[in-house]
Amino acid sequence: MEVRDGTGDLIEIQNIGRQFNTRDGTFEALKDVNFAVEDKEFFSIIGPSGCGKTTLLKMVAGLIKPSSGSITVDGQPVVGPGNDRAMVFQHFVLLPWADVLTNVGFGLEMRGLSRKESREAAKPFLDRVGLTRFSEHYPHELSGGMQQRVGLARALAVGPDILLMDEPFGALDAQTRQLMQEDLMRLWDGEQKTVIFVTHSMDEAAYLSDRVLVMDTHPGTVREILDVPLPRPRDESVRRTPVFNELTAHMWHELRGMMGDPTAAAPE
Amino acid sequence: MALEQREGSVPVVAHQTGGAVDGEVGVVDNGTVSIEVAHRWVPWLFRIGSVGLVLLIWELYGRAQETTLFFVPFTGVVSALWELAQTAEFWDAYRQTLIPFVWGWLLALVVGIALGLLIGRFRTFEAITKPYVTFLNALPVSTLVPIAVILLGIGYASRILVVFLFGVIEVTLNTAAGVRYVNRDLVEMGESFNATQWRLFRKVILPASTPGIMAGVRIGTGRAVVGMVVVEILLVAVGMGRLILRYRGRFQSAELFAVVLALILFGIVLQVVARRIERRVSRWKYEMERAT
Repeated sequence: MEVRDGTGDLIEIQNIGRQFNTRDGTFEALKDVNFAVEDKEFFSIIGPSGCGKTTLLKMVAGLIKPSSGSITVDGQPVVGPGNDRAMVFQHFVLLPWADVLTNVGFGLEMRGLSRKESREAAKPFLDRVGLTRFSEHYPHELSGGMQQRVGLARALAVGPDILLMDEPFGALDAQTRQLMQEDLMRLWDGEQKTVIFVTHSMDEAAYLSDRVLVMDTHPGTVREILDVPLPRPRDESVRRTPVFNELTAHMWHELRGMMGDPTAAAPE
Repeated sequence: MALEQREGSVPVVAHQTGGAVDGEVGVVDNGTVSIEVAHRWVPWLFRIGSVGLVLLIWELYGRAQETTLFFVPFTGVVSALWELAQTAEFWDAYRQTLIPFVWGWLLALVVGIALGLLIGRFRTFEAITKPYVTFLNALPVSTLVPIAVILLGIGYASRILVVFLFGVIEVTLNTAAGVRYVNRDLVEMGESFNATQWRLFRKVILPASTPGIMAGVRIGTGRAVVGMVVVEILLVAVGMGRLILRYRGRFQSAELFAVVLALILFGIVLQVVARRIERRVSRWKYEMERAT
């Protein structure tokens, strides 16, 4: 395991806060969030529902502005979406009127390529997720797992340094989810991109990540950042190692405390 | 990367074209296609049966009358229409009616879609135009017909204006609603890829709004046809309107019904065309709905 000394930081999040005005006064969604993600790191954010993890991810994407604090990528402050980042969404968000290949090329089209050029450029990425045969099918003709592969290929096609993944496998059934995790792992081993991965699955976070940020809720803030000392490349068997089990047990202990489970407060 | 095998719960619609989807991905198959084809005929049977029944009642009721002065059986109307269709006067009247209609209708579509897009997309624009839209929507447009005629005379211009006014509001409102209810996730996805406002509009918002736009076109077309007839009957006795007034005055009921039937046929043709375009442009929506 390399030492996290802070010198290779690519993304820096400093004192992020986010308030909403509601009828009952100000609601603090995020407060004093500080962390940094290193270059080529697989970094997961885990936390209970409503802790603001998706909001945080969208801030890095440049889709939401923080009320206070700053986010920098490679030293440059984030002011909006950028060509260095691409996002993968929980509910896939594919264009229903366009076929698979056009969907994969969509990010490129948004960046100014013609429909024809982007479809052409999209082909190798579709191939990488194993869906070449389906290039002329429409999203509603595909299963959830296949739709998310299209979502992933679309993000990869723009050649981002940073992949922002918002519970990408959250809408899939358990078996598909596990397959997708393994495929993502294999892809990541080959691509070496920086990934921020939001999830509420502890297994998923432990299996995929170099580090896992556990978020506290009300207000959302950093509770702790865990190192995942599992060797790479990983395969399915790491799920049965003691280190893996200890990690997930620890995460569960932390999360359970936040979820207002009365048994969690009992003396051990 | 391996494809996952068999996700049985997700039906994959088998495409008739080439059948590229095969067993490997767990396509639910055989049978569904033929069932769908069978189903497609059922509504048609009911439609034809329903129209046939009404025509039959019309025919019988007409024949039961002592005179054809007031009510004419269906076959009488059809033969009157056949007779009329042999005359130059009829086709002349038809043309006189249709020319201003086509202009007013096209104008209503172009202006309505453009306005609707602006209203749906920009809050400020919506605020500026809202009083006028509400006004036009609240008012029976027929009341504007006399004013249009006073302002523009009895030529094409006033009739074009009336057809336009009848049609434009539905096109505008439906288009605006189509734009406003575009899935926010799609817009956010477009933004996340660093899209310019223009590209986002052209590549995401516009295609996503087509179902609303096309609904506006279809409804607006129907309204425009109403406008076309109303102006001719109410004030400017030209074209088909003049024929209607004349045959009414002379108690030539068969011819009167025939003219009305001719207008109805025209209206139906337009509706069918609008529907066809709608299905073609927003085919993805129908297929998506059928798949879920």
